[in-house]
Amino acid sequence: MENFEPEIVAFCCHYCAYTAADMAGSKRISYPSNVKIIRVPCTGKVDAIHLMKALEKGADGVYVAGCLAGDCHFKNGNVRAEARVNRVKKILTELGWEPERVAMVNMSAGMGEYFAQTAREFTETIRKLGPGPGKFAGTNDKAAS
Amino acid sequence: MQNNNSSENTLSPDRRVLVIGGGVGGIRAALDLAESRRDVLLIDKAYAIGGLMTQLDRTFPTNNCDLCTVSPYLSQGARERHLEIKPMTTLTRLEGEAGAFTATLVTEPRYIDTDKCTACGECAKLFPDAVRVTPGLDPRAPTCMRYPQATPFAFSIDITKVADMAALKKVCRADAIRDDDTRRESVVDVASVVLSVGADLFDPAVLDNFGGGKFDNVVTGLEYERIMSASGPFQGNLVRKSDGRRPKKVAWIQCVGSRGINKGDVPYCSGVCCMYALKEAMVTRERFGDDIDTTIFFMDMRTYGKDYELYFNRARDEYKIRMIRSRPHSVVENSATQNLSITYALEDKPVQETEEFDMVVLSTGFRVGEDAKNLAGVLGIDCNQYDFAATHPFNPVLTSKPGVYVCGVSESPKDIPETMVQASAAAAMAVTDLPVVPVDLQTEDLFAPERDVRGQDPRIGVFVCDCGFEIGGIVKVDKLLADVCANTDVAVAKAVGYGCSSESMAAIETMIQENHLNRVVIGGCSPRTHETKFQDLLRRVGLNKYLVEIVNLRDQTTWTHMNEPEKAQAKAARLLQAGIAGVRKNRPLIDHTLPMSQNALVVGGGVTGMTSALTLADQGIKTYIVERAPALGGLARSLRKTIEGEDVGAFVQDLVQQVTAHGNIQVLTRSIIVDHSGMPGLFTTGIQTGVRMNYMQIDHGVTILATGALAGRPAQYGLGTHTNIMTQLEMDSMLEDEADKIQAMEQVVMIQCVGSREKENPNCSRICCQAAMKNALRIKEISPDTQIFVLYRDMRTYGFQEEYYRKARDLGVKFIRFSLDQRPEVVEADGSLSVTTHDFILGCDIEIAADCVVLSTGLIADDETTEDLALLFHLPRTIDHYFLEDHVKLRPVDMAQRGFFLAGTAHSPRTIRESITQARAAAGRAQTMLAKKEINLGACVAKVDDKKCASCLICVRACPFDVPFINAEGVSQIDADKCHGCGVCAGECPAKAIQLLAYEDDQILAKLDGLFER
Amino acid sequence: MITAEQKPIPEIIQYIAPYGKILLVGCNECVTVCAAGGRKEVGLLASALHLNSMKQGKTIDIKEITLERQCDPEYVEELTPYIDGVDAVVSMACGCGVQTIAGRYKKTPVFPAVNTRFMGASLGQGVWAERCKGCGDCVLGITGGICPVARCSKHLFNGPCGGTSNGQCEIDPDVDCAWRLIWERLKELGMEDRYEDLMNAKDWRPGGAGGPGKIIREDLA
Repeated sequence: MENFEPEIVAFCCHYCAYTAADMAGSKRISYPSNVKIIRVPCTGKVDAIHLMKALEKGADGVYVAGCLAGDCHFKNGNVRAEARVNRVKKILTELGWEPERVAMVNMSAGMGEYFAQTAREFTETIRKLGPGPGKFAGTNDKAAS
Repeated sequence: MQNNNSSENTLSPDRRVLVIGGGVGGIRAALDLAESRRDVLLIDKAYAIGGLMTQLDRTFPTNNCDLCTVSPYLSQGARERHLEIKPMTTLTRLEGEAGAFTATLVTEPRYIDTDKCTACGECAKLFPDAVRVTPGLDPRAPTCMRYPQATPFAFSIDITKVADMAALKKVCRADAIRDDDTRRESVVDVASVVLSVGADLFDPAVLDNFGGGKFDNVVTGLEYERIMSASGPFQGNLVRKSDGRRPKKVAWIQCVGSRGINKGDVPYCSGVCCMYALKEAMVTRERFGDDIDTTIFFMDMRTYGKDYELYFNRARDEYKIRMIRSRPHSVVENSATQNLSITYALEDKPVQETEEFDMVVLSTGFRVGEDAKNLAGVLGIDCNQYDFAATHPFNPVLTSKPGVYVCGVSESPKDIPETMVQASAAAAMAVTDLPVVPVDLQTEDLFAPERDVRGQDPRIGVFVCDCGFEIGGIVKVDKLLADVCANTDVAVAKAVGYGCSSESMAAIETMIQENHLNRVVIGGCSPRTHETKFQDLLRRVGLNKYLVEIVNLRDQTTWTHMNEPEKAQAKAARLLQAGIAGVRKNRPLIDHTLPMSQNALVVGGGVTGMTSALTLADQGIKTYIVERAPALGGLARSLRKTIEGEDVGAFVQDLVQQVTAHGNIQVLTRSIIVDHSGMPGLFTTGIQTGVRMNYMQIDHGVTILATGALAGRPAQYGLGTHTNIMTQLEMDSMLEDEADKIQAMEQVVMIQCVGSREKENPNCSRICCQAAMKNALRIKEISPDTQIFVLYRDMRTYGFQEEYYRKARDLGVKFIRFSLDQRPEVVEADGSLSVTTHDFILGCDIEIAADCVVLSTGLIADDETTEDLALLFHLPRTIDHYFLEDHVKLRPVDMAQRGFFLAGTAHSPRTIRESITQARAAAGRAQTMLAKKEINLGACVAKVDDKKCASCLICVRACPFDVPFINAEGVSQIDADKCHGCGVCAGECPAKAIQLLAYEDDQILAKLDGLFER
Repeated sequence: MITAEQKPIPEIIQYIAPYGKILLVGCNECVTVCAAGGRKEVGLLASALHLNSMKQGKTIDIKEITLERQCDPEYVEELTPYIDGVDAVVSMACGCGVQTIAGRYKKTPVFPAVNTRFMGASLGQGVWAERCKGCGDCVLGITGGICPVARCSKHLFNGPCGGTSNGQCEIDPDVDCAWRLIWERLKELGMEDRYEDLMNAKDWRPGGAGGPGKIIREDLA
């Protein structure tokens, strides 16, 4: 696992985190290409199952990026999202997986640099943890469907 | 589809506005008018619209590629039903008066039918001399289309060079060549005219000292842009013309032809060159390597726009661009190497320096061209001494002739954001000469009926935009396309150049139809900016707009991983696969609509707020002004004179009277906003008003933020400790009220940038240099013998303000530069003041006795107000607490939150003149929204599956907006017209009975599958 | 409503360790409403079990299905097409559901994934509290609508024990003393005198003490 390149999914809300990610781009701030974004209208849409399924399908880490506390375009979607992230952390702990594989981060639309920073930090965290569940699956790909 | 020909447009001739000039300003004005359902005729003398902006490689301060930021606007232009575009057309006569002009137009023959021409280029291949491929101003690139997203996308023919017309006609398979085309004159009735022809760029060949036009490796700023541009003569390679080598040392020389008094110079400042030089230098290092040494020779660094100072700091500190404060004497070419020696003097050194560079860029500015001068004559408008259209400080987009408005560089040198603002303002003013549009105007449906694709197997088209260098320069588009072909349901996979250009859009439309595609994936820019555009494309070909997925290959891939092309490639491939997997699951959806409130709320009753309110109210829009203070007027109440000498007090008084008397305006002073709800187009805002703080609610469709800024008063240089240490604002009053005190002063010292351009407040306050000049000149007028010293860091008298700076110097005002590490000190001894500062030219500290020290304290954001409102309205702010607009360049008065518009000093520091322009622009933009009459709620709403619903109430309790309820059937019901589309209920439902349309679980899981498919 | 909560996942894992093909069955009634065993929890548990087997480098085949009600044989019948293809069933329903399945499919082991806790009421989003013991002889009519069986830790019938302090239960100070609540409620109703009524020793047989309960409605049966 010398050259382990973690695969990371970031669920980003349209109004803040996704915009921040675009902002990082327009400022040409680089972050690890390991992070792949799935856009959602609000992090409140992100179901605990989506996080679990991401790990199951092959992600080594998943995070949810929403608006700053109190700043959610939809009032409290980010708070709901965080609660679900915590639930998944608990499940992972019960299963003997590292809870750090899922995370919640918050940022405003203008925080392109912070988006890049969290992407870097999360990637490093996962790199240290090593491969996630999907990598142990062997020939198990079909089970995901 | 691309062009509006006369047979299909529905323009009513008595209600149109003539926009002259198809640059970015003219396009903005025309689009604003068309969006407000006003008929517009846009003419341009060139073969294609787009103007100067399309020639630029990138634009500041975002450093984006212009082609892709402007082109959505251009092809929007080709689409709008209310907009007719006539290229190669000029105005030759204008008769009549505002509301009823008769305009005579002349259209030059193109010899090509733009409706038939597909721009295949066969004619140009065979007859390169006769066919104009609109090469623009770059003669070195005859084979390059002027720019790839040209509108109209068609060639034109130079008939004088055609030897064999029959042969030429034969090569055209589209049968588009019309040898019988002639110069046509037409007469149209127009209600008003917007002038936006811009200006030419100075040709440095007339100067004999910099080698412009003489040495191969001396280029103008614009030529440098073309060299760097992906659509330029070297396909985006930075090379020297003399030997094709990449330069290692590039120098920029500022103010070439501007701010001068010598032969060929103009005295004004061109306003944009400092920023574009910084941009070019930054992009050079970013794109072509850190090892290219970049140096800028400048006199004053004029980065006075919003956050521009931060841009300058980044250029200097992060990009390590060398800044030399000097106006070079000459450029000499080494005949052997074609390298260039620049000779220059430094302010603190007695001898001249000479340094060799590989390439020299001359930062040339704006000049009004002959055509524009003639046009001013045809229009019958007054111009200033430099031939720019003259306007009044309190009515900045109206020319001397009623009904004729002006925007952009036609009025004064300015950058793109300022041009956009002025264009929207001019459009808002041009509307006033038209009859008010009846409220019940029907919404038009521009699109063909939809094809039913339900039950069909996916036939997917994948179109990847190379976006010039932006995508295609980093990743191999061919490889991406080869990869996606592994999906058996991908029927077409094609690269589409600039995907958002008219040409590519048309090509995609054809491919969708020819291949019977029912799903589309676009790899290109962010869906945030480009989704609507491609959704419209689908609607044009009869597909539901939700059958497209936009894959963000630029903003989130090539831009962020530009230094790791292999990783960018891998990521792009994964994202495309996720897009394909996702689009398979997309379903046709229907947008929901609601009628829009036609009221407006203006927050803030200063000059900006009052101007916005009047502009709206005159158009029949009920407008509420909410002002915290007991009276209207704002900061302008404490200002007496503008730099032009206009009486601010009388102007404000007049505004207040107009506002108070207006039947459509309700003024609520002593009022604060306490709550806010609703959605764009249907807001409800609660206020507490009057001395008793009565609560009331206002229903409104749009909100204009005009909350202003505060006069800065930092505790610096002894401000507040001595009566003779004052701000420019206090000096302004003293000049009006206590002239005798001024006459008694022997020496006055002004200190600039007090509390601005410092760590705590890093931006430039923009207004202080002109305020200092204004007051210095007035002091000199009252008391010619008073000595005035201005201690400055950079004099930022941009545009025509330069005139006042020059006049002050002529009158003997002394200017002494200081730097932050050697800042002046104000010393008080026995009640009298003196200022000590370092003189860089003398090389020592000097002490100046001062009867009065005037501090240029500028403006600071009203942190408390903007914070409160930002929280209530969910709006973003800048780090220095001003409101943050949606797009600094293209949407400078629109906020990201729809229905909110921004104007005046709540945006950033600016003069009254600039605030008025912005106020009108914000009102104009608000009108474009209100003109839609209904709110499109989109299709992204929660939907309950009755069969699965367990009536558990979890959605009812979880919804942030209290929308779901258990209906008579005993299941949860979520009304589409109330749902905000956040999806919290869907994420919470324990029975998985709720799906958020467009983001359904199977769509998200499919995207995950796509990301991890091996 | 029956209120349940999910078992610790390791316990579930232990049950199914020997098996490779699992039928995971949710219930769209009570356990959906208390968010313990509806369609969503089925999905989450399935995913968790997958993640677990991945850790061991194994594969596990899980078929997810959620029935309208697991305590009715007709609904349970919907499992028949799948049952032969699986090694074991994991039920996310209450005990009634688990037993209905076990009763129908004799050859396939059935394991519970939730602990059935009590009959409860919702106090708000995500909070449920026990309100009924199913004693078979309801006394709410004389206790002001507050049940001393379910809400008094000692199931006392004639006033509080001596342990009540400041109106809270001595077993758990977070629990209100049921008899304090009964007293306050009766006072509000102006029925303080009812408090004096003595209750006879309770007959616990209808509630289960007389063997498993059964109801037969002859008009329906």
